[in-house]
Amino acid sequence: MSDADAPHGATPPAEKTPEHGAPDEGNAPTPDDASAVAEKVDEIPMGGVPEPGPTGEAQRADDSNLLTELPDHAEHRDLHGGHATTTGLSNNKMGMWLFLGSECLLFGGLISTYMLYRGRQADGPGPDQIYDIPFTSVSSFVLLMSSLTMVLAVSSATRNDERNTKLWLTITALLGATFVGGQVYEFTAFYREGMGFTTSLFSSSFFTLTGFHGAHVTIGIIMLMALVGMISRQRVVGDKAEVVELVGLYWHFVDIVWIVIFTLVYLIPA
Amino acid sequence: MAIIERPVPATSVGPALPTVTPSSSLGVFRRPVAATGWRSWVFTVDHKRLGIMYGVAATFFFVVGGIEALLIRLQLAGPDGTVLSADVYNQMFTMHATSMVFLFAMPMAAAFGNYFLPLQVGARDVAFPRINAFGFWSFLFGAMFVNAGWFLGGAADGGWFMYAPNSGVAYSPSHGIDFWAIGLQITGIASLSGAINLIVTVLNMRTRGMSLMRMPVFTWMILVVQFLLLFAIPVITVALFLLTFQRVFGATFFSVEAGADPLLWQHLFWIFGHPEVYILVLPSFGIVSEVLPVFSKKPLFGYPFVVFSGAAIGFVGWGVWAHHMFASGIGPISVAVFSMSTMAIAVPTGIKIVNWTLTMWGGKLRFTTAMLFAMGLVVEFTIGGLSGVTHSVAPSDTQQTDTYYIVAHFHYVLFGGAVLGFFAGFYYWWPKVFGKCLGERLGKWNFWVMIVGLNLTFGPMHIVGLQGQPRRMYVHTESRAGEGFFNITFWNFAASVGAFIIAISVLLFLINIWHTHRTAPPAPLDPWDARTLEWMTTNPPKAHNFDSVPTVHALDEFFHRKYEDVGEGDEHDLRRVATAEELLAEQEANADHHIHLPSPSYWPVVLAFALPIVGFGVIYNHLIAVVGASIVVLAMFGWALEPSVALDTDYDPPAPDDGPGTELATVGGGRP
Amino acid sequence: MVREMSAGPSRRRLAGALTALGGVTLLAACAEDAPQDTWQPAGENAQRIQDLQWWVFAIAGAVGLIVFATIAWVSVRYRDRGQPIPRQTHGRPALEIGLTVLPALILVGVAIPTIGTLMDLSRTSDTECVVNVTGQQWWWEVDYPPQEGCGGFSEPIVTSGQMVIPTGTKVLVRGTSRDVIHSWWIPRLNGKRDMVPGRVQTVRLQADRPGIYAGQCTEFCGLSHANMRMEVVALDPADFETWKANQLADYTAPMEGSLAAAGEQVFISQCATCHQVDGLVNADGVPIIAQPQERVFAGAAPNLTNLTTRNTFAGATWDLLTPTCRDDVWNASPEEFGAAYLAGVSADCLNEVDLREWLRNAPAKKPMYADPEQLGPTDGLNRGMPYLALSEAQIDQIIAYLLERQ
Repeated sequence: MSDADAPHGATPPAEKTPEHGAPDEGNAPTPDDASAVAEKVDEIPMGGVPEPGPTGEAQRADDSNLLTELPDHAEHRDLHGGHATTTGLSNNKMGMWLFLGSECLLFGGLISTYMLYRGRQADGPGPDQIYDIPFTSVSSFVLLMSSLTMVLAVSSATRNDERNTKLWLTITALLGATFVGGQVYEFTAFYREGMGFTTSLFSSSFFTLTGFHGAHVTIGIIMLMALVGMISRQRVVGDKAEVVELVGLYWHFVDIVWIVIFTLVYLIPA
Repeated sequence: MAIIERPVPATSVGPALPTVTPSSSLGVFRRPVAATGWRSWVFTVDHKRLGIMYGVAATFFFVVGGIEALLIRLQLAGPDGTVLSADVYNQMFTMHATSMVFLFAMPMAAAFGNYFLPLQVGARDVAFPRINAFGFWSFLFGAMFVNAGWFLGGAADGGWFMYAPNSGVAYSPSHGIDFWAIGLQITGIASLSGAINLIVTVLNMRTRGMSLMRMPVFTWMILVVQFLLLFAIPVITVALFLLTFQRVFGATFFSVEAGADPLLWQHLFWIFGHPEVYILVLPSFGIVSEVLPVFSKKPLFGYPFVVFSGAAIGFVGWGVWAHHMFASGIGPISVAVFSMSTMAIAVPTGIKIVNWTLTMWGGKLRFTTAMLFAMGLVVEFTIGGLSGVTHSVAPSDTQQTDTYYIVAHFHYVLFGGAVLGFFAGFYYWWPKVFGKCLGERLGKWNFWVMIVGLNLTFGPMHIVGLQGQPRRMYVHTESRAGEGFFNITFWNFAASVGAFIIAISVLLFLINIWHTHRTAPPAPLDPWDARTLEWMTTNPPKAHNFDSVPTVHALDEFFHRKYEDVGEGDEHDLRRVATAEELLAEQEANADHHIHLPSPSYWPVVLAFALPIVGFGVIYNHLIAVVGASIVVLAMFGWALEPSVALDTDYDPPAPDDGPGTELATVGGGRP
Repeated sequence: MVREMSAGPSRRRLAGALTALGGVTLLAACAEDAPQDTWQPAGENAQRIQDLQWWVFAIAGAVGLIVFATIAWVSVRYRDRGQPIPRQTHGRPALEIGLTVLPALILVGVAIPTIGTLMDLSRTSDTECVVNVTGQQWWWEVDYPPQEGCGGFSEPIVTSGQMVIPTGTKVLVRGTSRDVIHSWWIPRLNGKRDMVPGRVQTVRLQADRPGIYAGQCTEFCGLSHANMRMEVVALDPADFETWKANQLADYTAPMEGSLAAAGEQVFISQCATCHQVDGLVNADGVPIIAQPQERVFAGAAPNLTNLTTRNTFAGATWDLLTPTCRDDVWNASPEEFGAAYLAGVSADCLNEVDLREWLRNAPAKKPMYADPEQLGPTDGLNRGMPYLALSEAQIDQIIAYLLERQ
């Protein structure tokens, strides 16, 4: 960049005072405010992009702390070996949060369907005859406990304690598998009592809702076991602690959904 | 195809990218490395190449949907048409809507979003490049799957809204609806993954100084759309699962005999379906909000109002779905509430029209083809918006719904809104993507023929609708046509003529592409005197987008780097202080080194290919589904074990280790 | 309102001026004579909708014109003539807020009468008569339950395709469906209402003058959706009583040895499984009760007891009257309409062309789901009328028999 291109001097953003940030935020001056326009245009560094370098990063976004931006996000940089992001939250984690937000509506739709149809069992068995609340309570408890072990896994991973991470991940997977096993048992018991998938609206919507949840838990178990394997063989791509945390987020979400399902489906009488 | 060949950039001063020796994944395959040839497209993770592929695929389905529309109009050109049988006609209008909505408009928006959104926020790629590739391939395979019904016993014939119980096996015995439901499920995966990807890209990967309120409006609108997709797709996913379970596994979710409520489908469908309307038009609103300021030489009037009205549409759009059900019998209180919420959504929409008009007011208007299409959108969309207000009035809507008046309304919204916006985008951004400007002369022909065709096709539909012709009828008859000026037969014929005029204009567009790529000289670096970051790089952009990522200090950063107000006091006197070439040269002189771009991968396309296999299995033979599912699992493991960016040690020669500041690529480094 | 407009020349001029203002959508307001024209209300309910939407269309037209005029003016006034680059102004919040509030106010002005009309149209407390309709692929069954209303019904009447109502009476239509969702719509009498299986929906009808008011199923209902129509026939209360008496009259067996008597036998063997004719008895004198559920998926077929008192068949898609006779009925003055309609279908007026085609091969004339090869999904049951392989002689006999069904 030659000076001729930037007659007003390339003011690096870091040198700007906070007052300059305000009229500069795209929320532009009114026409009556011509001096502000002139002043603003004057401030714009003409192509004066500072050399990106170790210090350049710290200057970022001094004047851009609107809405979601964290003014000090430069400090978050490279915490997990990734790249600096605008929000400080890693891409993977934000992606997972968004995915879980979307999943909320998936389960929302399934739960709504179940709530609409739960009294419609026609000649088939209804909720009151079929649910075994003590049994399901125990398996729900097992699933909730798996959240606790997941927390321990994440905490071990953050401490870089590989052995305990693997241990807690395995225990989490086993607890999850116990839950899924319980669900399989429950389904077969229901089937033997005469409630198949197509028996009634109630049965279809029950099996669809809990089946989708069970599938989520199963996918979670696969992810946990795969993670254990990958940690053992040192094949984890990217930051290990973050990967564990991502699986953890998913796992907690699936647990929370189960709390909702358990309450609405099993505990509240039809 | 000519249009997917990327011309070699005239100047390529940036840093030479190091060649990569790929690591193997799963110990079996070596990573794809081709930089040219078909492999470089099939395994690419470059957002620009994926954008182009989205565009080509969407254009293909635009033509398919257009041919379906022409057949429909041929059938309806005269009374008691015999071109199509009732059965084929029902498949035709179902697939016309499906093609246009899911296989053209949504992927075309994805094409623009994919290509320009990272450029506009100053990123080098999207957050999850491999997921991006997976999104494209699952869209394409899903789209093919939806259309597979044509060749396997008949396409879906229940209307794109697929109301239950007419979508049940007893009422639609062919596999068409199965293909439709599962195919849309697959394209839904594409939309959902794209939504997460682009949201993270916008929120996390903006360049220095690019605060949210400095983002170009196009990026804003795409962001709003991605949030709509994020929350709308799971709802249709549930609906499609219920439908598939009903049809394939014998569940009774919509069987009245079993006590089901058919309105459940309507609610699920429209909770998705109404946001879907905004998903279709908001990207074009964004394009127009870019094009109008450039050719008016003025910033967008009321930028924050346009942004917040877009977001407001995104919010209120969730509260209006039942206005599709005013005649369904949901009770007068619900009707009143949804009637009012629907009127409310007209306010933010009106704000946009007003702001676009005021952007031009006091400007310095250049009527390029892109500008004409943008202004065409403002006018034609206004017609669609106003007819929309007439059926927010619920009692009035009970006369209009399911007639051709509605068909007229939403075609003014979707053709007049979405499609004209896309064309504005084609003409505006063509030089950016392909390095050549589309011909202006043919372009203007394209525009005017399209405007004539559009109004001749959809204008008369207002008349035949108000004269009482319902939609989705494979014939209309003389006995209910009426006489005089409003004769239904005459106006149906006029609409059919109009449809062929639209076809001619699309043909002119394709000829223009062909002609441009044969004869046109390379485009200037900044042909339109543009305002936003995507123009601060070469045409077409380099693989890494920017040699050095620009820092942003204002809305319309590029414009403010080129112009400066030298007026004193209240005077204003805008002078050019730099050319695009100078700014580019400066950027190249300050180029970043060791940019690690994400490496191509087999897994996205393999994973996406497995999905329709599962789909076939669900329909025909569950063993096939098991095979498909195995491929899914395998591909996921391959994916998980493969680094997104090839490691430093994979580079040949290895990248020098010069500290933490070297890894400048702003691509997501993670394991998605 | 438009109905009043067409009354006088000055109103006509006003309509003309508004037409010029409002563009193509308003143009449709002063149309002539499409039987399903939504802008020609013929009863209280449709009139209320009309009164409301007239203003909405006018406002929409005016707003549209302002926008288009502004854009046209801007594109002429501000085209690039070498003027300097304009000031880079980003907007004026005051103007913006003003232009947000203004449309909001207009919409509030629209919303208030909308809610009023909506509540009024949903009122059922002043019902004077109830008629039930049931949609089925692809025809409407109409039945009159025993009631005090409409001059009193001691016995139910079941008919199809045409609903006969007395003029000036507030009729409540209660509707449902036997298979998929259909929609009941008589544009000149009221807006449409979906008829959903498993639900009973209501819509009010009231006709000011005698006449035929055409309608059509407007919810896509499968293969022959285009061929599912209906008509409301409004008669003076006196004529309505006559019609009612006709419907409830005893069965008249055809004369021994006549063509119609042969037709009765063919009807019993070929048609009576599905189609009920009240009073028809078999050789042993036992009443024949149709069992349509054995052949038809949705479980019903049109009742043909008084077929030729109606003037349409096959989902009101084809006329039983020849074009000339049809026009005589449709165009009869309100005073003469009742007599013209009650005359029924005479041998001279019978539209034999369509009726014969129908009897020869119904699924070929109207697309239906009746191919024996493809009835797997419905367990061998038809959706619609199957091909019966009747001989020409049998068709002659059946037509002779049906002509007497009035």
